[in-house]
Amino acid sequence: MYPAQLANRYLTSRIIPLIAVGAVALCVALVVIVVSVMSGFLNMLKSSGRTLMGDVVINYPVRGLPWYDELIAEIGKLPEAEAATPLIDTYGLVRMPYPPGADKEVVTANVWGIEPRGFERVTDFSRSLYWKPPKDEAAAASMAPDDPRRVLAPQIEADGRSLRQFGTDIPGLVMGIHVSIVNERMRDGSYRTRSGWFMPDQRVTLTLVPISGKGTVAEPTERIFPVVNEFRSGVYQIDKNRVLIPLEEAQRMLRLDEGLQYDLDAPPNADGSQPVLGKSPARVHRVLVRAKPGVTPATLRDAVQDAYARFAMAAAADPAKVVKPPRPEVVSILTWEQHLRDLIGPVEKEREMMRILFSIVYLVCAGLVLSIFWAIVQEKSRDIGILRSIGASRPGVLWIFLQYGLVIGATGGVVGIGLGWLVIDNINAIHETIGEDAPRWTWILAFVLSVGALVMSLRGAHRGALLPTLLWLVGGVTMGLAGAGLLAHRGTLIWDPAVYYFSTIPNKVDWFTAALTWVGAVVFSVLGASVPAAKAADIDPVRALRYE
Amino acid sequence: MSEAPLLEARDLRKTYHLGKVGVPVLRGADFRMKRGEWVAILGSSGSGKSTLLHLLGLLDEPDADSGGVWFEGAPVAGLRGAARNRYRNLSVGFVFQFYHLLPELTVLENAMLPCSVARGLVAPGGADEVAHRRTRELLDAFGMSHRLAHRPRELSGGERQRVAIARALANEPRVLLADEPTGNLDAKTGGEILDMIAKLHGKGLSIAMVTHDPAVAARADRVVRLTDGRVDG
Ligand SMILES: Nc1ncnc2c1ncn2[C@@H]1O[C@H](COP(=O)(O)OP(=O)(O)OP(=O)(O)O)[C@@H](O)[C@H]1O
Ligand SMILES: [Mg+2]
Repeated sequence: MYPAQLANRYLTSRIIPLIAVGAVALCVALVVIVVSVMSGFLNMLKSSGRTLMGDVVINYPVRGLPWYDELIAEIGKLPEAEAATPLIDTYGLVRMPYPPGADKEVVTANVWGIEPRGFERVTDFSRSLYWKPPKDEAAAASMAPDDPRRVLAPQIEADGRSLRQFGTDIPGLVMGIHVSIVNERMRDGSYRTRSGWFMPDQRVTLTLVPISGKGTVAEPTERIFPVVNEFRSGVYQIDKNRVLIPLEEAQRMLRLDEGLQYDLDAPPNADGSQPVLGKSPARVHRVLVRAKPGVTPATLRDAVQDAYARFAMAAAADPAKVVKPPRPEVVSILTWEQHLRDLIGPVEKEREMMRILFSIVYLVCAGLVLSIFWAIVQEKSRDIGILRSIGASRPGVLWIFLQYGLVIGATGGVVGIGLGWLVIDNINAIHETIGEDAPRWTWILAFVLSVGALVMSLRGAHRGALLPTLLWLVGGVTMGLAGAGLLAHRGTLIWDPAVYYFSTIPNKVDWFTAALTWVGAVVFSVLGASVPAAKAADIDPVRALRYE
Repeated sequence: MSEAPLLEARDLRKTYHLGKVGVPVLRGADFRMKRGEWVAILGSSGSGKSTLLHLLGLLDEPDADSGGVWFEGAPVAGLRGAARNRYRNLSVGFVFQFYHLLPELTVLENAMLPCSVARGLVAPGGADEVAHRRTRELLDAFGMSHRLAHRPRELSGGERQRVAIARALANEPRVLLADEPTGNLDAKTGGEILDMIAKLHGKGLSIAMVTHDPAVAARADRVVRLTDGRVDG
C-alpha cells in the first residue's frame, strides 16, 4: 500500500535518512555511555564499601573496646547478623625493601589488624587478593604470556588468606597493590612488577606507635613482616594506603593485648611493683558486622545498638571485670555508608552533578532527534498536500511518517547501542591511549592527508569548481589541525585514579538503560516525525501545497 | 424537466485574510456544467480562477456564508472525513498548474498513486491488477510508456503534465478539473496537451479548465469569464 511504499522511498532515496540515523545513533551512544559509566560507578561504590567493611561498624578508636569477644558473642545471637569480627585500625610507617642501598623508602600506611577467618566471613576479602595462580588451563590461557601470576605457587593464596608465611608460619603482611611503587598496571588491568621487585618475596619493616590510656604517645614498636600477598579493592585510596596484619600482632605492637591491670593509687609492694587489680583484657578499635542476606544495614545497625547496650550492661554488673567497656553513648555504631561519609560525600556530590548533566544530555538528544524529524517532514509538506488532494486520508498520511520515524529511530538506536557498547567495552584502553603521547605515525599520516587534500583543493580551484575546492580545503585544514593537535598532545589522564576514588573506569554496558534509551529514541523519532506530519495533514491540501 | 448538472456551484465566496485585512477573491460565484461538457473558465491573473477550481475539487474551504457545491445533484461542500477523501479520490481528477508530482516516485507510481490511495479508502487489497493495466494504458496513450521508471525530475514540463493528467484520470473520475494545464508550457507542447485533452473529451470526459489565454479557452465547448469574483457568461 502507498504509505509503506512512500515510507520506503523516503528512506532509501536520499542521504537525509542516513544523517538522521547517524544523529539518532550518536545521541543514543552518548546516553548509553554516560549512564553506563555512571551507574557502574555507583555500583562499584555500593559494593566496595560493603565488601571493605561489612554492613555495620562499631567504632571506639584509640583506647579500644575491651571484652570484644563477649560483644561478638552477643552479636552472634542476633538473627540479623551473619558474622562479626574484631579489627585494629591505626597508622604506621612501612619501610620498603627498595631502592638498593641504605636509604630505603618509607611510606605511611593505614594498618588494619584482622582475624583472617572472621574478617573473611564479614568482608570476603580473599576475593580482593591479587596474587593468585590461574585456576585452570583456560584462566591461564587468558593471561598475557608475561603475566607474573602464571608462575605463582598455589600456597601464595593460602598465605594471603591466613596472613602466615607458608613453611615458616611467621605472621605475614598483606598490602594494597598500590602501597608499593613496584606494581605497574597494564591496560587490561593486570600488573607487572618493575625490575623484578615482586613484593610477596620481600620483607618490610612496620613501625607502630602505641598510645596510652591517657592519650600520650609511648615508645614506637618495630617489627619485620614478610609480605605474603597484595590486595586490590578497586578503591584507589585504600589500595594506596592500607596494609593488613594479624590481629594479635597489631594488639601486641600497640600494647592493646591482654595484660595485668595495676592499681596505681595503692602504695607499692615491697619489691617496688604496684599491686595488681585484675586482668586487663585485649582491646580492638572496631567490630565489623555483616548482615544476613536481605537485612538492610540500617536494620542491622539498630539491632547491634541494642546488643551493645545489653553487652555493656552485663559487663558493668560483672564484678570479675575490673575494666568496663565504654557506655553505649560514646561508642559510634554506624552503617558502612555513614562510616564512609567522608569518602563518599564528594562522590555523591559528583553523582548529583552527573545526574543533572545527564538529564540535560538526554533532553538535548531528545530535542535534536525531534528537530531533525521536524525539518525533514516540514520539507515534505508539499507531498502531504498532494497526497491529501488526491484523497489520501489523514491516518494514511500519518502512517507514512510514523513508519519513517519508526525505522530511523529503531535503526539509529541499534547502531547507537552498538557504538556505545564498543566504546564502553574499550573505555579503559581508550582512556590510557588518551593518557599517552600520540604515536608519531598518527600525526605524520594526518599531515600527509592534509597536504593531499590541499593539493586536491588547488586542483579544484584550477578547474573552477567551487564545491570540491571548498570541501577539500575544509578537509585539508581539518586534517592539518588534527595533525597539529596530535603532535602537541601530551598525555593527560582524565580519570586520574588518585582523584576519582576508583582505579578503573566501569566498563559494563547498563543493558536496562540501553533498552530504555532505545525505546526513547524510537518514541522521540516517531513523535518528531508524526507531529509535523499530523500538522500538515490537518490543514487544507491547498495550504499545504502553498508551503514553498 | 432538465437533467441535474454534473457539477454546480452557487454563490461561492472566498476571502483570504492577510493579517487583519480581508481580501475577497470570490464574491458569489456561480458555476454549472453538464455531463460531457468542456467548460473553460477564463480570467486574468489573480482573478480567483484557481481558488474557484480548488473549491470545486474540495481542496479548500469556502467562507462560512458561502453557498455550496453540488455534484450529480448531491451537495458535497459539507462532506467531511472519508466521504470528502472519496470525492477527491474518485469523483474528480485534479490537474495542477505546477504538476505537483511526488519526486521520490517513478512516473508509473505517481500515475498509480490515486489507485493505491483508493485501495486504502474503499477496498483494501482490491483490484490492483486492473488499476495497473489502466494506468499503463493511459500513460501509453499519452506517449509516456518509455519513461515509466523515470523520476519526475528527469522529465520535461510537457511530460510532467502528461503524467499529472494520467494521475488525475487513474481512477476514471467523472470530471477533470484542470488548472492552467498549459500555463507553463510553450505553444507547441501546450498544443499537444490540449489535443490530448480534446481526445479525452471526445471519448466523453467532462472537463472544467481554467486559463487566462483566450486562444486556449477557445478549444472548449463553452467559455465563462471570472471577473470581480463573479462568473458571467
Ligand atoms: N492563501 C492565500 N493567502 C492570501 N491570498 C491568496 C491566497 N491564495 C490566493 N490568494 C490571492 O487570491 C487571489 C486569487 O488567487 P488565485 O490563485 O485564485 O488566482 P488565479 O486567477 O488562479 O491567478 P493565476 O492566473 O495567476 O493563477 C490572488 O490575488 C492571490 O494573491
Ligand atoms: Mg491560478
